[in-house]
Amino acid sequence: MSTGVLLYCSNTPTYDYHRITERCVELIKKNLKLEITIVTDAETFKKFKPLGMINYKLIEPELGNKRNGEQWNQLERAYAYDHSPYDTTILMDCDYFCYTDNLLTYTNIDNDFLIHDKIHDLTGKDVYNFRKDSIIPMLWATVIVFKKTHRAKRIFDMVKYIKQHYQYFCDLYRISFRNFRNDYAFSIAINQVNGNTQQIFLPGKIPTLPALAKILEVKDTGIVFEYDDKINEIENQDVHLISKEIFNV
Amino acid sequence: MTVGELKQKADLSYDISVAKKNALERSESRQIIAHNEHLFKADAQTICLVKTLSEHKETFFVLDTNNNPCEIKEPAEFLNKLIERNQETLNAYSQIHETFKRR
Repeated sequence: MSTGVLLYCSNTPTYDYHRITERCVELIKKNLKLEITIVTDAETFKKFKPLGMINYKLIEPELGNKRNGEQWNQLERAYAYDHSPYDTTILMDCDYFCYTDNLLTYTNIDNDFLIHDKIHDLTGKDVYNFRKDSIIPMLWATVIVFKKTHRAKRIFDMVKYIKQHYQYFCDLYRISFRNFRNDYAFSIAINQVNGNTQQIFLPGKIPTLPALAKILEVKDTGIVFEYDDKINEIENQDVHLISKEIFNV
Repeated sequence: MTVGELKQKADLSYDISVAKKNALERSESRQIIAHNEHLFKADAQTICLVKTLSEHKETFFVLDTNNNPCEIKEPAEFLNKLIERNQETLNAYSQIHETFKRR
């Protein structure tokens, strides 16, 4: 049984996602010690520095999605089931930095599709309360652990279908965010596939640094960040970074 | 106490409170362990339950974090695993806690 990490990376005019991915890969190699597959486009691929043993899968990125007026790709995750060469896959955003091996725990269990339903705002501001923005709770597609089973395939097939008819599903579920969001696409897919019943989630919360936190330093063991004129640091804790300006320097 | 000093104290208390929450969150994430393909939290409640049941039975069932039943066939090994992870996380938390005191 093979286990590996699947990352999607595609540069936009605003952000050099390949730089974020390079850092993410270093941490995966150090802490998870798993095989890595990067799904990327040819232009982004040329910019990667040599990263050692990595599988690359080149695709033509789908364009058209925007967030706050800026190009925002992230449209290919629906195909993760087809893109993954592994029996058990940790599908994660390239801005999720693994400073621990905690994710390995979730690869040793019998559930075939696990996703986070809770988030921990590291600034203490609790800015991620989207409960009123849809009639179903939003799940966090930042990290998904799945196995190659019929049920997992059904969920990904459903995500593809939702992607094609996203505006309809936005209306159906009264989702305020009108641009395509994987978080909602997976939330809806799971809701549909499970017949509106509760899904099993990843225990724990995703530690997240929201955009209001400016990242000052990305260290080998943690992140130094600033918010409200205060400097803070986290160490040996996985973190999802929303602010990406530091990687453009 | 001047208003400036008060603000400084309040800011420090707030910072410590956020750092403490983050450290606790880190500990709780680390407390999740996999055993026989099930997830468990190595917290006081699980440890007490496993310890109590192991004193009465050689094998028994417990519920995992998703309320699925899991048969525990080697209670001593499982209990050791739980205690080890619990103490590892609390030891790390205690070290961070010491830094709060110094602030």
